[in-house]
Amino acid sequence: MTDVTTNPGAAGSIPAAPGASTSDLALAVRHLDKDFAGTRALNDASLVVRRGTVHALLGGNGSGKSTTIKILAGVYPADGGELTIFDEQHDLRGYSPATAQQAGLRFVHQDLGLFDDLSIEENFALDAGYPRRGPGIDWRGLRRRVTALLREYELDVDPRAPIRTLRPSDQTMVAIARALQDQDADQQLILVLDEPTARLAAHESELLLERVRRRADEGQTVLIVSHRLREVLAVSDDFTVYRDGRVVGELVGESPTEDRLIEIMAGRAVQALRPTGDVAAADDTPVFSVTGLRGGPVRGIDFTVHRGEILGLTGLVGSGRSSVLKMIFGEYAPDTGVMTLEGTPFAPRDVGEAMAAGVALVPEDRGHEASFMDQTVSENLALATLSENWTAGFMPRRRERATARRLIETFGVKVGGPDALFSSMSGGNQQKVVLARWMQRQPHLLLLDEPTQGVDVMSRADIYSSIRRAAAEGCAVIVASSDLAEIHALCDRTLVLSRGKITDEVAAGTLDVDGLTSLVLREKTIPDAHPEATHD
Amino acid sequence: MTDTKTPPASATVSIPVRQTPTVLRLLESYALPLLTVLVYAFFCFFPLSSASFPTMNNLSVILGSNAVIALISIAALFPLVCNYFDFSLGANAVMTQVMTAGFMSTFGMPLWLSIVLSLILGTLVGVVNGFFVTRLHMSPFVTTLGMSMLLAGLLSWFTGGKTLASGIDPALIRFGSTRIAGIPLVFFITLLVALLAWYFLTHTPFGRSLYAIGSNPTAATLVGLPVTKNVWWSFIVAGFIAGAAGVLQLARVGSAAASDGGTLLFPALAAVFLGATAIRPGFFNVWGTIIGAVFVSVSVSGLALSGASGWASSVFNGIALLAAVALSTYLGRSKRRG
Repeated sequence: MTDVTTNPGAAGSIPAAPGASTSDLALAVRHLDKDFAGTRALNDASLVVRRGTVHALLGGNGSGKSTTIKILAGVYPADGGELTIFDEQHDLRGYSPATAQQAGLRFVHQDLGLFDDLSIEENFALDAGYPRRGPGIDWRGLRRRVTALLREYELDVDPRAPIRTLRPSDQTMVAIARALQDQDADQQLILVLDEPTARLAAHESELLLERVRRRADEGQTVLIVSHRLREVLAVSDDFTVYRDGRVVGELVGESPTEDRLIEIMAGRAVQALRPTGDVAAADDTPVFSVTGLRGGPVRGIDFTVHRGEILGLTGLVGSGRSSVLKMIFGEYAPDTGVMTLEGTPFAPRDVGEAMAAGVALVPEDRGHEASFMDQTVSENLALATLSENWTAGFMPRRRERATARRLIETFGVKVGGPDALFSSMSGGNQQKVVLARWMQRQPHLLLLDEPTQGVDVMSRADIYSSIRRAAAEGCAVIVASSDLAEIHALCDRTLVLSRGKITDEVAAGTLDVDGLTSLVLREKTIPDAHPEATHD
Repeated sequence: MTDTKTPPASATVSIPVRQTPTVLRLLESYALPLLTVLVYAFFCFFPLSSASFPTMNNLSVILGSNAVIALISIAALFPLVCNYFDFSLGANAVMTQVMTAGFMSTFGMPLWLSIVLSLILGTLVGVVNGFFVTRLHMSPFVTTLGMSMLLAGLLSWFTGGKTLASGIDPALIRFGSTRIAGIPLVFFITLLVALLAWYFLTHTPFGRSLYAIGSNPTAATLVGLPVTKNVWWSFIVAGFIAGAAGVLQLARVGSAAASDGGTLLFPALAAVFLGATAIRPGFFNVWGTIIGAVFVSVSVSGLALSGASGWASSVFNGIALLAAVALSTYLGRSKRRG
């Protein structure tokens, strides 16, 4: 049974499962409006969640999904709209975090709010209060209750274990159990998961979402906000898609493909997310090559990348993807290995030397390794070209701004202007600025480590276009990524790494995403199946 | 049956951008200068101080005593911009003050040689601090505090607890009391150093890299900035400027005695942190620092001339430092949060 509508905000057209009475709904928000300083963040938006289902709220950055969640949490006041939670009308004026709590909404955010060094049971007690017995704490009662809860939530852990010692998916599960600990027959709760898998590796998030799914099968209502479409697809019953503060798609009881969801989310931009189908710009001039590279987890790697080629590096965590890039960029020196850049031996002693030789690296962890949060966009861009910009003993601020304005335009950064703070932008736009910072140096060899991690679909399309443009202009590009859809869409040729060695080489068009996935996973189960790769 | 229709994507995505209105921003940037003028005006008309405060002579005293503290605050600025503390600057200045006097009176050296040797000593202290902090990764807080105690102890030993007042070249003291248009020459020297510091911090790759290091040292390394080297240099520059401040102090005061330099360091730190609330709010900056130093001097002088006791200036400096740190921390944090 499917029922999909385009919703330009018409009130009566909110679909529910056919035959559903209103009491089947856990949450209904309609006609939601919100302005930020004259900018429409939400324009007649709506969100209808059925009882006992997992509902995914999707959309790019700036689409209004975070704003909606914050309104539901009582963090932002709405400008207008109607809210019904479990058949009870709530006035959005005067709606506060306390009202949200009372109405039965429970939020688990990306930052779980757990105390890492305290035990699980203490984390529960700090939230709900320590049970007392006489003058002291009823530790035994607490343990009994927490043990029962942990069992209910499929957590096979000791309640006395510190949070720090749990695997990441278990930590999130503890946060979920804690948020729902006061749920009983009398009070139904709605669990809102805000980007629950953002800090989890792929297999961890799978573990987590499976358990969330089973909670829903037992009647728990769940609302998930996530960037990772594929994961959400596997567990969700219903989907609501936002774009520009409006609802652009509502899919009830349907199993759409990832492509279809992306199409709804991104509209016309979707083309850039697909493989171009030809190995466009690559020619046979080698730009960079390495033989016998060893260091850190890398145990002997040879490869060559050519002019205009986009070369993918993929593999499981710990396969040495990032380490290869770091050694090329001079972050640390390899133990052994001979590198050649444009025909001359290349052995950078530090990042500065690699940069001078025409190498650029967009690092994996944007916040920690590439962001100057308290500085402006213009300053962030200029930091990679300080000595080049320095003319006649002065730093030409006006030229820096002009350059920034040009780069903002070229790379499609959505920002107020060059003087806006870096921290004021969304993740996708921050990533575009980091990419622009390096592209303005016109590198011969561009290294990208997880170039679209934590980036929304729209920005991802823009970033792919920029990378392809760089390659078309003759830059050799190496993309290290764990996202095989990304590798599939972007790369002309892909090297699969396992335990520090190259185990496969795949040309574009020969394998689909599933084929690539099985190549990567197979290495885990049959280690050293390919002792030494042959290539180039 | 499935029937999905999606409206075409609009070409632009609007994002809420938070912007502080221009008037508020201007007010934020210039609140401290405005406050300084108001405090000055207040003491001009305040009955207890109106007789002696608004005189040329007093202005000269304010700017003169301000000069040395402002110099030390400029010294402190360099490590602070990259998020490192240097607590040894006060003791460093006292050291060059004592040693310049000592080289002349105890060892009979000529004035120029005494000054050069003292400046070398001051710079060396910066080199050692920088070595400990950047190469041995020691906490800058504890390292420079230890250095400060070490210097104060060594100076007590050198002077034997006496004040060095004789045998100092009178040319130095003449220089210290020279006035141009009624304003002490040392104040102009401070302004010159401030101008140089402003140039280096805002118009050289070195200065820009210090701000980047203060913002995110890992990211700074990954855009090819020589982080270790530049942090080390910031300590060396700080040591040199503090050394120069000590020589100027000797020129102004005409004598030198061993101490830990706290009376120089703490008003200087108050000035730097106050400075971070002005001109470029949320960032340590040169002109904010100079205004902060003037603000501290004006207030302390006004309090003294209104008949407040000696402890009042300490209390004021303490309050100013706390308020300044609170304000600049708040501004810095709100920047990072975006």
